Amino acid sequence: MIAQLKPRWNRWLARRIPAATSVRLNQRRIFIVPSRVGLAFMLALLLMLLTAINYQNSLAYGLTFLLAAVFVVAILHTYRNLAGLVLKAAGAPAVFAGEQARFNVRLESRERPHQAIALGWPPAPLQIQDVAGGGLSEVQLTVPAERRGWLRPGRLRVESRFPLGILVAWSWVDLDQAVLVYPRPLAGELPQSMGLDEDQEEGSRAHGQGADDYQGLKNYQPGDSKRRLHWKAYSRGQGLLVKDFANLSGRDPQLDFEQLGGDVETRLSLLCDWVLELSERQQPFALHLPGFHVQVAGGEAHREACLRALALFGVAR
Amino acid sequence: MSALQTIPRISLSWLLVAQVLVIIPHLGHLPPWIIVLWLGCAAWRIQIYRMRAGYPNAWAKAGLIVAVVVGVLLSRGSLIGLDAGVVVLIAAFVLKLLEMRSRRDALVLIFLGFFAVVTSYLFNDSMLAALFSLLPVTALLAALIGLQQSALAAQPLATLRLAGGLLLQAVPLMLLLFVFFPRMGPLWSLPLPKDRATSGLAESMTPADIAELSRSPALAFRASFEGATPPRSELYWRALTLEHFDGRRWSQAGAAQLERQPSWEKRGASLSYSIIMQPNSQRWLFALDVAETGLEGTRQLSDFRLQRRQPVERVLLYEAVSWPESLRQMQLDAASLRRNLQLPAEGEPRSRAWGAELARQYPEAEQLVAALLSHFNREPYAYTLRPPALGPNNVDDFLFETRSGFCAHYAGAMVFVLRAAGIPARVVAGYQGGEFNPSGNYVQVRQFDAHAWVEYWQPGRGWRSVDPTFQIAPERIELGLEEALAAEQSFLEDSPLSPLRYRQLGWLNQLRLSWDNLNYGWQRWVLGYQSAQQLKVLQRLLGRIDSRSLILALVGGGGLLLGLLALWLFKPWRRETDRQQRVFRAFEQLLARHGLRRQPGEGARDFAQRAARALPHQRAAIMAFAQAFEAQRYAGEAGSPRQLRQQLRALRRALPWRLSRIEGEH
Repeated sequence: MIAQLKPRWNRWLARRIPAATSVRLNQRRIFIVPSRVGLAFMLALLLMLLTAINYQNSLAYGLTFLLAAVFVVAILHTYRNLAGLVLKAAGAPAVFAGEQARFNVRLESRERPHQAIALGWPPAPLQIQDVAGGGLSEVQLTVPAERRGWLRPGRLRVESRFPLGILVAWSWVDLDQAVLVYPRPLAGELPQSMGLDEDQEEGSRAHGQGADDYQGLKNYQPGDSKRRLHWKAYSRGQGLLVKDFANLSGRDPQLDFEQLGGDVETRLSLLCDWVLELSERQQPFALHLPGFHVQVAGGEAHREACLRALALFGVAR
Repeated sequence: MSALQTIPRISLSWLLVAQVLVIIPHLGHLPPWIIVLWLGCAAWRIQIYRMRAGYPNAWAKAGLIVAVVVGVLLSRGSLIGLDAGVVVLIAAFVLKLLEMRSRRDALVLIFLGFFAVVTSYLFNDSMLAALFSLLPVTALLAALIGLQQSALAAQPLATLRLAGGLLLQAVPLMLLLFVFFPRMGPLWSLPLPKDRATSGLAESMTPADIAELSRSPALAFRASFEGATPPRSELYWRALTLEHFDGRRWSQAGAAQLERQPSWEKRGASLSYSIIMQPNSQRWLFALDVAETGLEGTRQLSDFRLQRRQPVERVLLYEAVSWPESLRQMQLDAASLRRNLQLPAEGEPRSRAWGAELARQYPEAEQLVAALLSHFNREPYAYTLRPPALGPNNVDDFLFETRSGFCAHYAGAMVFVLRAAGIPARVVAGYQGGEFNPSGNYVQVRQFDAHAWVEYWQPGRGWRSVDPTFQIAPERIELGLEEALAAEQSFLEDSPLSPLRYRQLGWLNQLRLSWDNLNYGWQRWVLGYQSAQQLKVLQRLLGRIDSRSLILALVGGGGLLLGLLALWLFKPWRRETDRQQRVFRAFEQLLARHGLRRQPGEGARDFAQRAARALPHQRAAIMAFAQAFEAQRYAGEAGSPRQLRQQLRALRRALPWRLSRIEGEH
C-alpha cells in the first residue's frame, strides 16, 4: 500500500516543490501536523477537559481552553518559524567512494530569525541550526558515499518544531544537489604492457614498479614528488636528487581498462589509484576505457577528467 | 528530536521554578510530610544538576514510592478520592523531577504540572487563585520552550517573553471557547474536596448556634434583583423550617422533607432575582417567600423551602421568582397539624399556663399573636448576643426571668407559647437583610445575618410570618446586626481585622465594596458560567441555540480571530523589511512603466546609466537617485530611506507619466 503510494507522492512533491538550487519556503511548500508530543499534549488536554466537565469547574474549563488556544496559536508560530527561510545549495566537493560526502547548504533569512531549523536526510539524525534575522548560516551535511557515480541524496528534509515542540512543520526540498563519487582507490600492480617500466628502487611502493622511461637524475626542486627522491644517491652524499622520467609521447603510461583482469569495479579502482599516483608524480598518462579515451596529458584538469570518467563509467547519466 | 534525549539545563531550571509555583496553591491542603519530601527532592535534584550527587538508583526510587504510598494511606486513609488523589499527583510531580533524565521525562513532568494546576482549582477557585495560576502555566510553557535546541531557549528573558506572548495571543480564542463551548453535566460523579470549611445554618438549632454564626463575617450568598431592591426589612431569606422541639433544641421534622408540593396561590406582585450561593454542603437554597426556581434538580418541599437533590458543594448560581403576598396552604392535614402543635411532654409550666390563658383571652389567632408581639414590645425585653445562662426550663427562664436574648430565643419562645395556646406554629431559619452594594446593585448576605422568625397557621388564611425580634430590636431588621449591637459593641468582636468593622472609614469601605463587587462578577460570570447561565448568554448573543449556530460561532469566530492574529504576526504589508530595497523596487517599477527593466544581475549603477541613456531628459534625476542609493547601500553612508524617497519623488515628477508605454505595465 505504502509502496504503491510512494511514487505518486514523489511525483506530487516534484510538481509542488520543483528542484531548484535556491528554494524559499512558503505556504505551498510547508506542511504542518501535530508531533508525537503534540498528540500527548492533546491527550492531557482531554483529561483536563474531563476534569472540568465532571467537577463543573469553570477555571478548569478556562485553563483547558487556554492551552487548547495556545496549541492553535502555536500552529501559526511553528509555521512562521519556517516560512520565508531560503535554502541554497552551496556546493558539494567530489569524494572517493567510502568517504563522507559533504553537502553545503546555506540558510538565509530575509526578515525574521528562524530558530532551531533541522536539516537532513532521515533516517539519519537531523542537524539543528539557528538563523539570525536577516542573516545567513551554513550547514554542512554529510552522507556516506558508498558507490561511485553521482550521489543524489534525494529531497532534503527541513523541519522545525519551535517554539513548543508540539507541532512539526516541514518541507521536502530538492536543492538539485549531487556529489560526484570517484571509485575507491585500490593499490595494485598493473601489467607491463601499459608502459610502466621496472623501477627497482627500494623507495618506491611495493606495487609502484616503475613509472615510464627513466631518464636520469635531476636536482630536487620544491614541488617534486617525494616518492621519486633518489634515496641511494642521497645516502651516497650526492644531495637530494629526483629521478627524472622521460616525457616522450607514446612511451607514456597507457592506463587501459581492457588489459586488466578482475571485475569492473576492481579494475576501475586500480585505475583510479594509478591516476592519483601518476598525477602525483606529475607524469603524463593516457586513459583508455571502452568508449572513452583520453590522450596523454598531465595537470589538474586531466586528472579531474580521468577521475570523472572512471566515476561515471557505465553509469547512466 | 527524539534522537537527542538529554534535557537542556535551562529547561530543568524552568521546571524547578514551575514546581514551586505549581505547589504553592496546594500548600493549604497537603499533609506536611509532602512538603518535606518536596524540599528534599528539590535539593537532591539541584545537587544532581551541580554534579555533586547521582541519580537515585532503583532501590531509592522504590523506597520513595513505598514511603509516599504509606504516607498517603496514613494521612488520607485511602489512595483514591480527590484528597488522596491530589497528594498522589503532587508526590508524582515531585518524584518525577528527581528521576528525570530524558526529554520524555521532562514532557511527562510538564503535563503533570498542568494537571496539578487544574486540580488546584478544585480547592480554590477565587479570582486571585486564577490569576496566580497563570504563573505556573507560564513557567511550564517556558520549560517546554527550553526543551528546544535553539539559542533563544537559552535566554531566560526571551523565553519568558515568548511564553507570555503565546499565552496572550491565545486569550481571545480561549474566551471564545469559554463562551461557546457547550457545558454538559458531569459524566460520572466524583468525590469533592472534603476539607473545605463550611459554616452556615444546620438542620437543628439552639440559640447558641445562631450566636456562633453571628460572629462570622463569612459570605453566605449574594442576591441581585431585577428592578429595585426591596427594603431590607422585607428581605426574609427562608432556608428551612424547624418544627420539632425537644425542650432544648429546635430541629426539622422528617416529614417536612417530603417532596410534596404544598398548595399555594400566587397573589400580588412578584420579585425576580438571582442568587449566587457559597457552598455550604447543605441541600436547601435561599429564597424569599414564596419562591419558584427553574434550577435543575430542585423542588419546593411541603414547608415551602427550595431543596436540591445534591448538596451545594460549589458556588451555585440560580434564579428565583417570589410572590411575597401569596396565600399558603389554606388546608392543613392532620399530620401537619399535629407536628406544628407538638410540645415536649413536660417542662416549662409557666409558659404553658400563659399560653392557655392567652387562648382563653383571645379566641382569634390574629388577636393572640398581636397581643404576644405587643407584650414583647411593652415589657423590658432586651436584644443581646451575650444572654445570661438559662436553666432547664429555658423557655420559662427566658420569658419570665432573664428577658434578654436574640432572634433564636424570641422565635423559639413565641412558637412555644403559640403551640401552648393551640395555634399551629413553627420556627423558620434563614437570613434576614443583607448589605446593599451600590456599585454592583446587589445584596450580600453574610453569616451574621442568620436569623430565626415565626410562622403560624390559621384555617382559611394559611401560614403567616411574624418576627418577634422586630418588636424588641427593630434596628436589627431595618439596619442590621451592627446597629442592633451598637451599645453592646459585640459586633464581630472576634474578628478585629475584618474590614466590615471599619465601615465608617469611607475610602476603606469603598474599596471593600468594590473588591466584593469584583468577586461577585467573578462568581457570577466566570464560576457560575455553567449550563443555565451559558444558555441565557448564548440566547442573548445568538438568538436561538442549536448545534449548527454553535459550531458556526466557534468555527467562524475562531477563524476570524486566527486570521487577525496571522495578520498581526506576519504583517504582509511589511514583507520587504529592507526599506532601502523597497524604495529601489519602487524605482524599478517606475522605470518599468517606461519600458526599462533591470536585467538579472545588472547592478544599480549600470541599470541607471542605461535608463539615463534611454531617457536623456531625466538623466539628472535618475543618476541622483542611483548615486544616493549606492552611497547608502554600499558606501555605508548614513542616510535615511526618507531621503531616497524624496529623490524618487523628484524623479517621478520629472518623468512624463503620459508617455508611459502600455507594454511597460505589469
